[in-house]
Amino acid sequence: MAEGFDIDHLAKLARLSLTAEEKVLYSSQLNQILGHFQALADADLPATIDDARVVNEAALRSDEPGPVLGAEAVTRIAPASRDGQISVPRVVDDES
Amino acid sequence: MADALHTLSAAELGRRLAAGTLTSRALCEALIARYQRVNDKVGAFTHLDQADVLAQADASDARRKAGQGRGPLEGIPVAIKDNIAVKGQPLTCSSKMLAPLVSPYDSHVAERLRAAGAILYGRLNMDEFAMGSSTENSALRKTFNPWDLARIPGGSSGGSAAALAAGLVPLSLGSDTGGSIRQPASHCGVVGLKPTYGLISRFGLVAFASSLDQIGPMARSIEDCELLLNALSSADARDMTCFGPSDRGLTPAGDAKKLRIGIPKGFLGKGVAPEVAAAVNAAVEFYRAQGCAISEAELPSADLAVPTYYVVATAEASSNLGRYDGVRYGHRSAAAGTPVEMMTASRSEGFGPEVKRRILLGTFVLSAGYADAYYVRALRARAKIRAEYLAALAGVDVLLTPTVPTPAFKVGEKASDPLQLYLEDIFTIPANLAGLPAISVPCGKSGHLPVGFHLVGAPLSEAKLLAAGRLFEAAHGYAHQQAAL
Repeated sequence: MAEGFDIDHLAKLARLSLTAEEKVLYSSQLNQILGHFQALADADLPATIDDARVVNEAALRSDEPGPVLGAEAVTRIAPASRDGQISVPRVVDDES
Repeated sequence: MADALHTLSAAELGRRLAAGTLTSRALCEALIARYQRVNDKVGAFTHLDQADVLAQADASDARRKAGQGRGPLEGIPVAIKDNIAVKGQPLTCSSKMLAPLVSPYDSHVAERLRAAGAILYGRLNMDEFAMGSSTENSALRKTFNPWDLARIPGGSSGGSAAALAAGLVPLSLGSDTGGSIRQPASHCGVVGLKPTYGLISRFGLVAFASSLDQIGPMARSIEDCELLLNALSSADARDMTCFGPSDRGLTPAGDAKKLRIGIPKGFLGKGVAPEVAAAVNAAVEFYRAQGCAISEAELPSADLAVPTYYVVATAEASSNLGRYDGVRYGHRSAAAGTPVEMMTASRSEGFGPEVKRRILLGTFVLSAGYADAYYVRALRARAKIRAEYLAALAGVDVLLTPTVPTPAFKVGEKASDPLQLYLEDIFTIPANLAGLPAISVPCGKSGHLPVGFHLVGAPLSEAKLLAAGRLFEAAHGYAHQQAAL
């Protein structure tokens, strides 16, 4: 299986900022856990993943409008809102 | 008299309420008094709105007085794990990421409980985002095993199990992704059932690993567990995997004394504590003496279950927890910056160590160059494990094993070794991977610590699991047991 991983790349993909101590700790622990996963590499496994599904049919509901949370309920639980909308840091720089 | 109410089963409380010898208010007042005395010792609850509970109790008593009682759960308190949404109550998943969120809506199971007249009674502690086997990963508080306050209650539904064993509530809800109902049930000496995948809607359950997650009932007896299961099971279009009991039909229980019980080869050997093996063997001999057919079952890929689970579950978790970005709800970092910097800071401040570890692991097994070697191989292993379980269950009605290899360990004993903690779930994980129903039933003690056995059945065989548990329970003294506190 894989020889190793780049903890900085993983943290970037996962949108996590890790301290130097965390990088050392998680690298060690992930290596230990991945070593345990070696059993998967050594196993004789079926070629298909079809039988991995525990529910074989999707029960899709009809595509019709239904009740939703209103703006007031949504903005009440948002970290920041203004004028009935969720506010976020500026995404696009001002054009000049 | 009032103080003894905490020792009674939900079924007995329901009978007294129906007979008019007890009111829901009197019951809730007694439980609140016990909460005030006991909860700080055990730490099962993270939140209890006492005024709201009493208002619900008064409403229930008024319904009953008007002849509008809603059934056997009318006026009975049910405590709820803090990853299941109840409108107007906190929904934190025991994480700094979500505290102090208050849910703006009801989960399907909360709707069902309200429709049944139950009292939605407080929030129960858990491992953060249901990731853990000891409830030590909660960011809100510690929970201790009521049978030994120096030990863990199990997890991730540790609050749900500890609340029952401490007599804080007669019924509770947990969620189970790899054993999170059954393992704490075993450690706390109570009954915990993970239903067939799809039997109970997950609408309003905060997602951890969606192909594995199930909500399930926990109680101090089989009868109470069944009472709660019946109230929760119904089809729900808002969870596309949920078919409920009506479409498929649950398998009838049949005569429990004629059950065919399979004992998986090798499961009672290496790694199982001698006292646990002795208690489970005694349960096997009990069933044999009752007339059940006992045979050995072959599950040759059982050793693949733990690595398969931790690949699939962490992969799904890394995707599901991508929603916590500090934008729509949950923690947002005060650190200024670009949107990506804000998201990264929010996630880094909000998530605890185990959640970060699993997100990193899940991100890795799904990442370019590694997904085939890990995630796809894990799905292939899952298919093999499921096929082996279904083949074994074609020849027997249930498979019987210990629920957990060892009794509850001491707080902090495994905190620095995540792999050892992951191995706690070795007997419970396959039922999640295969979508099968499973139950933990108290069957003895190791010293002063409870031990449970574990039954797995074919899809929709919940009634058989309950019947088998009832047969054992009726002949032993483990129903309704509570720790002295």
